[in-house]
Amino acid sequence: MRELAYVNAIREAIQQEMRRDEKVFVVGQDVRGGVYPHTLDLIDEFGEERIVDTPISESAMHGTAFGSALQGYRPIVDFMFASTAMTVFTETAVMTGQQYFLHGSKRPVPLVMTGAWGIGKRTANDHAMPIHGYYSRAPGLRVVIPSTPYDAKGIFTAAIRDNNPVMIPWCTGIMMLKGDVPEESYELPLDKASIKRVGSDVTVLANSEQLQFALKVADKLSDEISMEVIDPISFSPIDMETILTSLEKTNRIVIVDEDWESGGFAATVSARIVEQAFDLLDAPIQRVCFPNMPIPGGYMEDYLRPNPEKIENAVRYVCA
Amino acid sequence: MAKKKEVLSKEQRIKLFTNLVRADKFGKMMYSRMMQGKLIGFYHPAEGAIAPGVAAGSFLTNDDILFPHHRGHGITHMLSKGIDIEPYIAEHAGKSTGCCEGRAAWHYAYPENNVFGTTAYIGHNFVPCTGFGWAAKRNNRGQVVMNCFGDGAMGTGRSHEGLLLSSNWQLPIVHFCENNGFAIFAEVEEMHPTEHLSTIAEGLNIPTTIVEDGQDVFAIAEAVIPAIERARTGGGPTFVEAKCLRFKEHDIGNRDLRGWKPREKEEYEAMLKRDPVLVATERARAESLLTDVEIEKIHEDAELEVARAVKFADDSPVESPTEEELMATLYAPRDGVFV
Repeated sequence: MRELAYVNAIREAIQQEMRRDEKVFVVGQDVRGGVYPHTLDLIDEFGEERIVDTPISESAMHGTAFGSALQGYRPIVDFMFASTAMTVFTETAVMTGQQYFLHGSKRPVPLVMTGAWGIGKRTANDHAMPIHGYYSRAPGLRVVIPSTPYDAKGIFTAAIRDNNPVMIPWCTGIMMLKGDVPEESYELPLDKASIKRVGSDVTVLANSEQLQFALKVADKLSDEISMEVIDPISFSPIDMETILTSLEKTNRIVIVDEDWESGGFAATVSARIVEQAFDLLDAPIQRVCFPNMPIPGGYMEDYLRPNPEKIENAVRYVCA
Repeated sequence: MAKKKEVLSKEQRIKLFTNLVRADKFGKMMYSRMMQGKLIGFYHPAEGAIAPGVAAGSFLTNDDILFPHHRGHGITHMLSKGIDIEPYIAEHAGKSTGCCEGRAAWHYAYPENNVFGTTAYIGHNFVPCTGFGWAAKRNNRGQVVMNCFGDGAMGTGRSHEGLLLSSNWQLPIVHFCENNGFAIFAEVEEMHPTEHLSTIAEGLNIPTTIVEDGQDVFAIAEAVIPAIERARTGGGPTFVEAKCLRFKEHDIGNRDLRGWKPREKEEYEAMLKRDPVLVATERARAESLLTDVEIEKIHEDAELEVARAVKFADDSPVESPTEEELMATLYAPRDGVFV
């Protein structure tokens, strides 16, 4: 099959959906020029009416998407860096998330929000910051992160076609990761986790660059420990069914997430496992997350963030 | 000397007068129901400042998009746009017949009538209105966006951004500033350095109109109608600023201060002489727009309309779905049928 880089898989999803549905458009800052390649050269095919640049006005930029979505358009609002969406958190999380439900579930808000994040590029807090933890607490939003090129295309396609606001923070650590991607259009479920490697001794949840790390560790330990590696994909709502089914088999779990340790996906999943499946556990749940400090931008990112060594240690600990 | 051409036809003036009376009756009913404990949430009375909303709403089509001012929770604007207000009164009482199934209480929307609002986040109106304007321009069927807000909203960054994009893109938006001089207690003179808030829009090349007497519904309409027409015919945004008076406290139960001191008794006395219904009635009589009998009929009809709405709300059951039923409506289905 044809190989594509992750970021180009996103681009292909956007391009194919824009061809399929004239209501789809992109709004952001320098999306015409394509600061990131997922909008590069789309201006040539779709023109300025559908590849829309705004001033540095995140509130109105998001508003262009939010308001037009309420009028039947299907906008993709690109914040360039994910944490930039946080500058208008009220707009992106609170107002967008509550709009459909609080107003009687009568008029949907079909809009995609996206932006890049990722620790390990020595870019420090503002550019690196994971936002899925924050956004996954905003009811009414879907929060999804695809972690392979194949998933990126299928998830973006499904998100554009979905009738809800979908936040897709994508990770720069896997931006150029290559993988098989079909040329034709396809969708993947927005609310389902994906088992990336079948195993029997321990369940490991990991996304984005951490998924690659977890798979490497699984290879390395394959003679000793059989790791089942699951990509959660959906951070809101969380697919607990897939996680608990795996846990029934492995009875051990390690949750890896570059997000801060406190209050995020790993914390929520841990709490739910303790509530719903305490008896399945043969070892304490282990979380491998970023420590609760602002992300320093120098060489410290490498050893502060989750990495293969930390994942291996956690896996060995629960399997000991 | 040739007679000055009237901006408003007789029919339009009667419509304004009628909507003004209706808005007044609805507003007073809401105030009294809040005092009786029959409304849920807060209520921010519009009393005194109802003329701007009537002028803003009375000349919009159903296809036009309205974001009402939060004061009076937009009843004035909405009834002027011609939408059925009964489900809103029910919504504000938490009833199942409410326009948002009892979930919004007072931060409602009427998507079927292209009405979206309101919110606790002052200045938020500029956010969706940018997108409404973008969509209206691209739809290219003459839709107008009426973006209503108060002087307080002009302190937000959202207002700057919304004005900026509407000017850049020449969006069909009427930015309608109902400047009542107060953001809760804070005086506009103290919070803004310029005499007029429209100065901010002028700086972004948006044509502006100032209505010094925002108690006169006809005067405001004379400014609003050309702005609507400009937007409808591709002429881009206009900023209309109507200076009006807030007769009551910011929200019922709050104090009514100027800065941090109670407003003077003389201020109320002077203000009440500028009651918008009083002003309009004087003009209607002086300019032979309506007879006393016709005026009386308009009042009677409005009272009946309000009574019907109250009965509708009172007769409707409280909305109390289960948690599971509510969760099932959190996400919009792919193949859903929407308004």
